[in-house]
Amino acid sequence: MRRKGFSRREALAVLGAAAGTAVLPGCSTDQGSRSAALQVWGGVPPESGPAAVVEAFQRKFPQHKVTYTRYVNDDRGNLKLDTALQGGVDIDVYFTYGLGPLALRAGSGLAADLTDQVRRAPELRPFLDTEQPRAYFDNGRVKGLATASVPSFVMFNEKLRRQAGVELPHEWTIEEYRATAKRLTTADTVGAYRVPDVARIALGPDYWYDGDRSNFGDPHFEQEFRIGQEMIAEGSAFRWTEVLSRHLDVYQQNAFLGEEFHLWPTWPFNLRYLRDAKMYPHDFKVSFAPLPTVDGRDWNSGECGNFLMVNPKSPKQEVAWEFIKFYLTEGSGPMLSAGQLPSLSNLSEDQVISGMLGEEPERYFDVESFRRVVLDPKLKLATGTRLTAFPEIRLAEKQQRDLCWLGEKAPGPAIRDVRRVADAAIARNDRRP
Amino acid sequence: MGTATVAETSAAAKPTAARTKKRTKKAPPGIRPKGWVGLLFILPNLLGVIAFTLIPLVSVVVLAFTDWNLVSGLGGIRFTGTDNFVAIAQDPAFWKAVGLTLVYAGVSVPLTVILGLALGIALNRPLPGRAALRAIFFLPYIVNIVAVGMTWLMLMNPNSGLVNQVLGGLGLEPGWFASSNWALPALIVMAVWGGVGYASLIYMSALQDAPRQLYEAADIDGAGAWTKFRVITWPSVLPSTIFLVVTLIIGVSQGFGLIALITAGGPGDSTTTLSYYMYQTGFQFYRFGYASAIGLVTFAGVLVLTLLTWRAQRGRALHD
Repeated sequence: MRRKGFSRREALAVLGAAAGTAVLPGCSTDQGSRSAALQVWGGVPPESGPAAVVEAFQRKFPQHKVTYTRYVNDDRGNLKLDTALQGGVDIDVYFTYGLGPLALRAGSGLAADLTDQVRRAPELRPFLDTEQPRAYFDNGRVKGLATASVPSFVMFNEKLRRQAGVELPHEWTIEEYRATAKRLTTADTVGAYRVPDVARIALGPDYWYDGDRSNFGDPHFEQEFRIGQEMIAEGSAFRWTEVLSRHLDVYQQNAFLGEEFHLWPTWPFNLRYLRDAKMYPHDFKVSFAPLPTVDGRDWNSGECGNFLMVNPKSPKQEVAWEFIKFYLTEGSGPMLSAGQLPSLSNLSEDQVISGMLGEEPERYFDVESFRRVVLDPKLKLATGTRLTAFPEIRLAEKQQRDLCWLGEKAPGPAIRDVRRVADAAIARNDRRP
Repeated sequence: MGTATVAETSAAAKPTAARTKKRTKKAPPGIRPKGWVGLLFILPNLLGVIAFTLIPLVSVVVLAFTDWNLVSGLGGIRFTGTDNFVAIAQDPAFWKAVGLTLVYAGVSVPLTVILGLALGIALNRPLPGRAALRAIFFLPYIVNIVAVGMTWLMLMNPNSGLVNQVLGGLGLEPGWFASSNWALPALIVMAVWGGVGYASLIYMSALQDAPRQLYEAADIDGAGAWTKFRVITWPSVLPSTIFLVVTLIIGVSQGFGLIALITAGGPGDSTTTLSYYMYQTGFQFYRFGYASAIGLVTFAGVLVLTLLTWRAQRGRALHD
């Protein structure tokens, strides 16, 4: 006899099936699921500035709503962003930080062409400059706009500098940098964290490339490896065994705050650790010196970065552009606390100082040297425009630098190995259609 | 329909069909012929397996024959035939990674198995605090990998770590993770430390099943400890050993977390094992086709090793 209705087991099974199939809508890329708010993805935590930028934008344009989503700016975070963009997730505007992903996204149809909008906005003309670019150009078209200027400089621990009786340099050579580090080295404190980017200071933007090959045959690369190795050996630079064991490549600030080393070639984003002595306890002031010159050449090894890009699939192109324009021209003030110097000089020096150096700038910073060095309008930022095989070359250089500075490999063979890998990677990438 | 379907399939496949059919007809009372209910029960899991295992698996096989950078979307997939496999054969970085993986597995797996067996035998005897000891030795297997990594990183700091402070007294000061010669041995130490507790647990379970009467007979015959181990214990635990060897080899070939966390493949490329090289190629260089091909080759290698291990033990286990 045929039974009517469901048994409890059957009902449970149906429930389970329903639960299972309920996950499927999550895979949908339906345009209908797009939010009315402008969706912005970035790598900076919202409380470190982006939330305030969004709030200011919404105050000025109450008709627009913005939702900021943070992704972690590492390999996995970037992969998440890439798959989200490819998979049709509701993203209108996004930030790109690394130069590798920048080229990939711009060249793979994930970034809208902003050239015409930039041309139409007189206040954004600096972004059309190709000599010292603040935009990322893909086949001559603007695909990304740098929001931050990231100059490199050398930070001094003032307390230790005065104790050692060393003059704060206004200009110096790489040899003087090394001699100063040696003078500052004591039984408790290493003179410098590391040698600055010698090759980049000497060669400027796109310093890895020479025509259709790599440029690692240039002697400045070997010079950098050699000086670094010698400084570590003489004790005036941090032991590389310690750098690798303690992952200081990402935690240098801890060793600087702990006064383990003295000279710190670094970037503005690390100022956030020095402006807040409650969260990052320290009792010393810091002062600023420019990067040393190399053979009389003075490229700043910093660059323009943190690129804003628009998803070409976004149906909110106009609002997206409105947001980008606002961010670049008047909205970037809140990002100063995260150590981001605006790429357009649209803020006064005093605004930058109070925004970047905190409520008591004079207590923790030598403001005069900050103005002279970090806010120097004549800085020649070495922003790269050629990014062929960028991640492969970066890894090869890091691998060989580690071996060289651990004292396991001589500078010459180490650079020759970087060159071999870089040439092969460039050739392979150039062969791709 | 469910039980009927099983019966029909069997009938088509085997000459014993009639017997099977007969048996199916006499299914225990209470099982109703409604296969769809069972299907609905497993549907949530089935969807998960299809979405997160089956589709990625097929994708990897297809992608291995392409050049694809992910960000260009599906339209950017370019079929390149066997180019990736030809490139792998000529890639010195790949072969170095193969060598490192073989050393990593070749040292860590036997060490884990031998120490796990010794520990299993020791903890299988009546000891004061045996339960606590078992828990302590098993703890490394379940502790969070990040905590484990960071702790070992501090312990093995070549300048200030506890390990070198002890070894310093013996005149030894290895560079551990800050040395291209010592980084892989350091990872092996960690892998063995993390795996021994698990291996001992498996062995303890196998030893419980070792036939008591054979040990008693051996005692009567005057067999020594080594003879008893060789003739009774070892054949008893051989299936568990094979299970451990196979799962540990697979674990090492997939081992990624500690390398990513501690060495990122370095210093130089001294800890770039196959799994980490595959990760670099795919997720750092965005060469997903090439990375998929490396994945397939790795799979083939592990399959061969597993089959060889399995064949080597056939007929040698002690069946009660």
